[in-house]
Order: sequence, then structure tokens, then C-alpha cells
Amino acid sequence: MSKRKQELKRCISAVSLRGLAACLLAFPLAASADGLDVTDARMRVLPGDTPAAGYFRLGNTSDNTVVLVGARSDAFGRVELHRSMNKDGMASMAPVSRLEVAPGEELTFAPQGYHLMLMAPVGTLSVGDEVGITLEFEQREPLVVDFEAVPPTAM
Amino acid sequence: MLRWMFPLVLSLMLTGCFDHNWQTNDIADVMPALEFGLVDESGEAVRAGEFSGKPTLLFFGFTHCPDVCPTTLTRLSAAIKRLDEAQRDEVQVLFVSVDPARDTPDVMKRYTEAFGPQFIGLTGERARIDALTNRYRVTYEYGEKDARGNYNVSHSSSVFAFDSQGEARFMISDIDSMDAIVGDLSYLVENG
Repeated sequence: MSKRKQELKRCISAVSLRGLAACLLAFPLAASADGLDVTDARMRVLPGDTPAAGYFRLGNTSDNTVVLVGARSDAFGRVELHRSMNKDGMASMAPVSRLEVAPGEELTFAPQGYHLMLMAPVGTLSVGDEVGITLEFEQREPLVVDFEAVPPTAM
Repeated sequence: MLRWMFPLVLSLMLTGCFDHNWQTNDIADVMPALEFGLVDESGEAVRAGEFSGKPTLLFFGFTHCPDVCPTTLTRLSAAIKRLDEAQRDEVQVLFVSVDPARDTPDVMKRYTEAFGPQFIGLTGERARIDALTNRYRVTYEYGEKDARGNYNVSHSSSVFAFDSQGEARFMISDIDSMDAIVGDLSYLVENG
């Protein structure tokens, strides 16, 4: 991180156009704020230490395929990408290791489909809390997203 | 002609009160009446008969189910909220755990409270739960335990509806619309 900060300082102090270009290249995160668009981020508040689900929409407005490979949060001991499936009236769930989002496409995490499985809550969450969850990508800086804690009956 | 039709009409009225065209799935002729011996949220043994008097919805799941179970229970909660106010307390939802090792009566109590006063959690011995899942021809299966001992349980996503006498009436599947669920539920409350 400190190395990045130094680089950032160097970029900011750069006055030439070349310096600006180097700055943009060195900080894909700054550019990726434009290339990634996360909306509708919310999670259910469930009683006790039962795992909760997180949902969101991830839009890829960049020119490259974005690959979501995981998530983490200080508020949970463990976060996994999961997918619910329903076959012949049987509901099941399976972990997902990576999800590609093509340029211009949107990936939806929604009830009865893809969801973040938020396990082992560290503290007590209340409705209305904002919970920071970091989405992790392949060859791309992670992105911290604030998820709104909502009651289970709100979805 | 009227004379011979009368007993026919009368018998239809008596036996076919529920000869109703459900918008979800009719199970009146294929599923038996509600019967079980389980453990309620206070840890007391309960039998199905204790829940008679109100239409009942029955759903199998487990609390460590982050997505499908809360989503289904939320759908039922939303459907109940769309009933006339007077009808809302005339429905009860029995959420039966297929994971009694983790779902103690206390866990079930805290969990169901999040969905509304109509939701009642039931758990019990595996053999008792199996008797109930077998009765409605549904299955469940435990996934492998991970390094931390967590496991997933695949289970039926259907919701079974019974009238106030515990007779099977309709079944809600994932693809049934909210309007269909509300319509059937409302009719069930109105007609017993």
C-alpha cells in the first residue's frame, strides 16, 4: 500500500502529459471505478450466527472481461460466491470459483441465483447498517462496496 | 330429473367443497392429511392436530440456508401481507427443519420471528422428520462437511397448503406467481 501511495504522490506531482499517462496506467483502480459499476448492493439481516446472503448488480463498462473470483469482509469470518439451483423441485447450492462478465454485460446476484454467502458474522448487524464487502477480481484491484443491511422480508 | 339430481348435488356439496380450481397446483387427491410428531420452538413435543383450526402452509428447509429458504419464507410473508387484514392471522406457516443437528428449538424460534408472527419453526429427531418428508414424497440430502464442519443441505423447494382440518389442498412451487399464491391462500382462508 505504501508503495502505491508513493507512486500516487509521484503521479500527482507529475506535470507533463507523459506523467499523467503513467499515472493512469499505474492505477487501474482509478480507471476501474469507471469500468465497474456496482448497484443495488444489499444483504439480509438474519438472527443469530446463521449465514446471510448478499446481492448486487455488477456492470462491466470497461473494454475488458472482468472476472469476479471472491469476496471478503471484516464483518464476516468467511465470504463465498454461491449459486442456488432448483432442479425437479429440489433446491441446492454450490460454491462458484470464478464468474466472467464480458464488456458491456451485467452480472446479477439475486435471490435464488448467485449470492454472496456471508458466514460467521463477527458482530451483530442491524437493519440500516452499511457493511463493507470487498469484491475480488482476477488481474484487477479489489473493489470495496457498501452493502445495505435490510430485513429478510424486504427482498 | 331434479329428484335424482338432488342426492348427486348434495354429495358433491359434501365431498367436493374443495373442488376448486387452484391457480397453483392441486394436491387434494394425491397427498395425505397433515400428520407429524415434532418438537416446537419451546422444545415441547407437538402433533399436527394441535395446529388444526387454521389453514397451514408447510415448508422444509434449514436455517443455515442463506438464499433459498429466506427467499421462500419472504415470498410467503409477502403473500400473507397481501391478504385482507382480518385474514392474515388466520394462516400459519410451519417451517420444518431438515437439519436438526444445527436447528435447535431456540435457533428455530429466533429465525422464524424474523418473518412474522404466522411463522412457526419445528424440528425433531431425524426419524420423525423423515416420516414427514416421506409422507409428502420429498427428499433432502446433506452435502459434504467442509474443513470447518459446515455443510449444505439440498431440500424440496415446494410449499404444501392444508385447510383448517389438515387436509392437503394445494402446492406452491418456485414458478408460481405471487398473484396465484395470494389468490389460492385467500380462497383457502375464506373457505376453511
